[in-house]
Amino acid sequence: MEFAIISALNGVTYGLLLFMVSAGLTLIFGMMGVLNFAHASFYMLGAYVAYAVSSIFGFWTGLVVAPIVVGLVGMAVERFLLPRVHAHGHAHELLLTFGLALIIEELIKLFFGDFPVDYQMPADLRFSAFSIFGSDYPFYRLFIGGVAVVMFAVLWLLLTRTRTGIVVRAAERLPAMAEALGHNIPMVFMFVFGTGAALAGLAGAVAGAFYPTNPNMGLELGVIVFVVVVVGGLGSLKGSLLASLLIGLFSSFAVGLDWSLAGLFGLVGLGDWARSLGGLMTLKLSSVSATIPFALMLIVLLVRPAGLMGERN
Amino acid sequence: MRNISILVAILALAIAVPPFLGIAWQNALVNVLIASLFALAFNLLIGQAGLLSFGHAAYFGIGAFAALHLMIAIEDGLAFPTPLVPLAGAAAGLLVGIVAGYFATMRSGVYFALVTLAIAELFHSLAPHLQGLFGGESGVSSMRMPWQGIIFGSLIEVYYLTLGWVLTCGLALWAYTRTPFGRLTLALRDNEQRVQFLGYNAHAAKVIVFAVSAMASGVAGALLAISNETANYSLFATDVSAQVVLQTFVGGSTVFFGPVFGAAAFTLFAFLVSDLTRSWVFYQGLIFVLVMLYAPTGIGGVIAYHARHRRQLDWSRLAGPYALALVGGLLVAAGVVYLTETVAVLFGEGYAVRMRDAGGSLPRYDLFGVSWDPAGILTWLLPLILIGAGGAVLVRARRSIAGFWNRMGRTEALAAATPEPAGGTA
Amino acid sequence: MKHIAMMTFTAAGALVAAAPAVHAEPLKIGIIESLSGSQTSTGRLYATAVEYGVDQINKAGGFNGEPVQVTEYDNAGGAPEAADKFRQAVADGVDIIFQGASSAIAGQLTEDVRKHNIRNTGKEVMFINLGGEAMELTGDKCQFYHFRFTTTAPMRVNALVSAMKESGDLGTKVYSINQNYSWGQDMQAAVKASAEKGGYEVIDEVLHDVNKIQDFAPFVARIKAAAPNTVFTGNWSNDLLLLMKATGDAGLDVTFATAFLDQPGNIANAGKTALGHYIANNYDNAAAKTDAFPEAYKQATGHYPIFVEGHSAFALAQLQQALGTLDFKGGEISVTQIALALENTTYETPVGPVSVRKEDHQTIRPVVVSKVAENAKYPADNTDMGFETVKIVPAEEAIYPVQESCQMERPEQ
Repeated sequence: MEFAIISALNGVTYGLLLFMVSAGLTLIFGMMGVLNFAHASFYMLGAYVAYAVSSIFGFWTGLVVAPIVVGLVGMAVERFLLPRVHAHGHAHELLLTFGLALIIEELIKLFFGDFPVDYQMPADLRFSAFSIFGSDYPFYRLFIGGVAVVMFAVLWLLLTRTRTGIVVRAAERLPAMAEALGHNIPMVFMFVFGTGAALAGLAGAVAGAFYPTNPNMGLELGVIVFVVVVVGGLGSLKGSLLASLLIGLFSSFAVGLDWSLAGLFGLVGLGDWARSLGGLMTLKLSSVSATIPFALMLIVLLVRPAGLMGERN
Repeated sequence: MRNISILVAILALAIAVPPFLGIAWQNALVNVLIASLFALAFNLLIGQAGLLSFGHAAYFGIGAFAALHLMIAIEDGLAFPTPLVPLAGAAAGLLVGIVAGYFATMRSGVYFALVTLAIAELFHSLAPHLQGLFGGESGVSSMRMPWQGIIFGSLIEVYYLTLGWVLTCGLALWAYTRTPFGRLTLALRDNEQRVQFLGYNAHAAKVIVFAVSAMASGVAGALLAISNETANYSLFATDVSAQVVLQTFVGGSTVFFGPVFGAAAFTLFAFLVSDLTRSWVFYQGLIFVLVMLYAPTGIGGVIAYHARHRRQLDWSRLAGPYALALVGGLLVAAGVVYLTETVAVLFGEGYAVRMRDAGGSLPRYDLFGVSWDPAGILTWLLPLILIGAGGAVLVRARRSIAGFWNRMGRTEALAAATPEPAGGTA
Repeated sequence: MKHIAMMTFTAAGALVAAAPAVHAEPLKIGIIESLSGSQTSTGRLYATAVEYGVDQINKAGGFNGEPVQVTEYDNAGGAPEAADKFRQAVADGVDIIFQGASSAIAGQLTEDVRKHNIRNTGKEVMFINLGGEAMELTGDKCQFYHFRFTTTAPMRVNALVSAMKESGDLGTKVYSINQNYSWGQDMQAAVKASAEKGGYEVIDEVLHDVNKIQDFAPFVARIKAAAPNTVFTGNWSNDLLLLMKATGDAGLDVTFATAFLDQPGNIANAGKTALGHYIANNYDNAAAKTDAFPEAYKQATGHYPIFVEGHSAFALAQLQQALGTLDFKGGEISVTQIALALENTTYETPVGPVSVRKEDHQTIRPVVVSKVAENAKYPADNTDMGFETVKIVPAEEAIYPVQESCQMERPEQ
């Protein structure tokens, strides 16, 4: 019980972090149909910008500046780079962002070195929120979760309750019609892309102070974020929230489960036979928990490519 | 006829020259050949069928492991000719390709890319746990066994073996695209629905292309296994899948032999530059993005375009602007390299230590055999001048080249005809 | 036709081999390291230390009448690339190869060296392994031309158990969490094997994916549920850092017994959480008998030796000592002779003597056990924390028996 409650808490906070990063990605995809390979690099860029700024002006300034800088970078990419390859199709847009991811990672290594940098949360945030079953629960985890929830709420309200939101949604559905009605659609696209990037930057700035900030952080999170948006349904904000929580909870609980395929066969009396096969049969779930999300993504793609909440296929 | 004579000339060079080269160059050429075959195999999917795979490392790796297991069996006494070991890679690639292809080709576009990515990731994360098949993280290793008096001990023997296989497979793939079925895959890329209306089973056709591509990738992997005599799970890594994507598109995916240019350029680039500068991956990324932006059809596309219009080309008028573009490109490249290396020095750990020792002031540093002052005006003015001048020259050259092509009434091919700047220095 | 070609090659090779050396032949050293990719930080340190060691040899007059030459090769962190760079190194005439980051790459290189030496008698290459700790390198894969100049899992665990038991920090309940690959599995086995000697019980053990886990809080919840006194872990890089941070955040009161806590960035990132945790490694500045080595190293490279730099520099110093017993009179260098000389060398490092065990070429070496403390003499990562020596476990106490799987073929004399 104790393990279950703590795991659930951890799973939810980690899931919310995943959501913060994947929200931007899914927003961009839903809007423009571009699967942005550089998205996780924006996350990393956010952490590094926040680190650089916060070492001079303090943590909170870093937290504000990082998303703005990353958002501007995102806008520049959308404005100056993507249109050049747009005519050659989505594959080329995908490839361009893929190349950008490579460049951003290398630039960060160039300026900040290969070691993790010393980006820390301020001391007044470093306390335990409450104590549960005798172990402290760090406040900062709740802070990460809180930022994600606020972000989701603001995005949701913005998209559904404001005039801007209506224009954005119109531009998503029927860009030509929206343009004919006098809206500046290229501008809308640029801002959506910038917002998506800024969200990733914010996530990086918040999470970088909790998890180490190093040049591999983009790569490590990047693939998982893809899994999240695919499982949730490309382009669906609600879907990616759901998928983030699912994957967060899953990776949290899998750790405690020493299940294996052999165990499964054991239920029908074939345990010894399965164990004698070795290989895949005896792998414990806890030791391959990082593999499961890919298997999950594969299954979703094959069975329900639109994802859990996605509309289009 | 002309094409054939060019091919024969290249072939003659590929056969005659390597014995006179050092081991390092022979090794580099073996890698170029393997990368070329892998890129050709990959391009069969994207160039022919319009399917962008982000996980081709899976089939490359499978081919390598299959070949190694066969080599181990030969070491243990199995009477199988060593030169035919790549057949194991082909078989394994084909088999896995059929299964993976069956599922992957159920989807298209971004979804297809993601399925292939997930399959490769599954291999990558499960392989180190499957000791028997993939030998844990240290991998499987074997030794090339002699056959009919050929001992396969020296690299030149490996080179000729690789050359033979790459030529055979490359030509076979080319011939495949010329068959009626190969034509059908092209139609699939352009309009899948119409193909279905014509009564073909589009899914089955896609599975076949996928499997053929996986088979050829398996041969490439097997050749790598023969050359390295070991393989470990890192062959399944995302980097391997990414490299083939980079090489194919820089080389040009619209022309059949285009990817070979990319494979050769990147492999040789890595061979020549990787020990000189720590920023070589950065340059690689930069070249890729520039090609994507300014020459989306790649090196092969640009060459093919010129070859197609060779009768209309008036080199006396084109040579000038092209040379100008080259000069501009070189200037910009020099500026960018200078800036990058300067940043690498100034932000490097070594310099931080020297700065601390110097009590916070900025000590001079050496780069390209010259001593620079980090606070000096010239230090920063030089790259700006290089890039500015190069950029101006490029713009000018581009305008006159564009003017030339415009007069030929071929505006639409502008992008393809403008040489990209960094390519000149690659 | 092929036969004739073959014979020509062989004849040419024989000619080259037989040609008398006109110039003094320099000893060539190749560093095949991860100088790009995710393990760059570690690879860079190995390279720096080797270059420092070569400088020392050259300051003392070089070898064979020439300065020793050293070349860096970037293996980009991958085994296939390492195989590639090995060939390039051979083409450049490299005699001795150094490598440290990653057992998988060490496995690749030792195989490459073995095959090369079978095919090129008289032109042998030797491999000095500075950091590949997988047991199989001196077990299944052991060979005459491979030398391991670092510890292995049993040595680190033996030392940790010995020192922690003496200082009373070990306790009776031990948790073992490791990365799921050969190194982690070796650690897990070693922790189990030492249970009786250390008088503890392994209450739970877990293996997890390598460098893929972002959030260690679930593992900490699992550790918490088992309520151990000490957690043994061979984790390195992010896996260690994240684990310690998560433990600190949960306010879990356990002592960590680690192998790679001294990796740069760890102490700064973990902050006060790191205090009181243990590490067993080859060398630590605070454990050195005198300041001579750390100061000399700082003089040359600008920083005190950190992480793997110390023992890597000693490996070079030991090589230097071995080279001192040889004289090729400016002629051709015999790598086999160097290897034989190295087998017979005992080098006195600032923390005790290191010698080579002839049966499997594992070095018999002291292991330093330290604890993170405040106001350390050699602060780590610009913090006020650093390592305080608890005990230098002597070589004979840390070493383990030769693995049965090692059957080394020695060169004919």
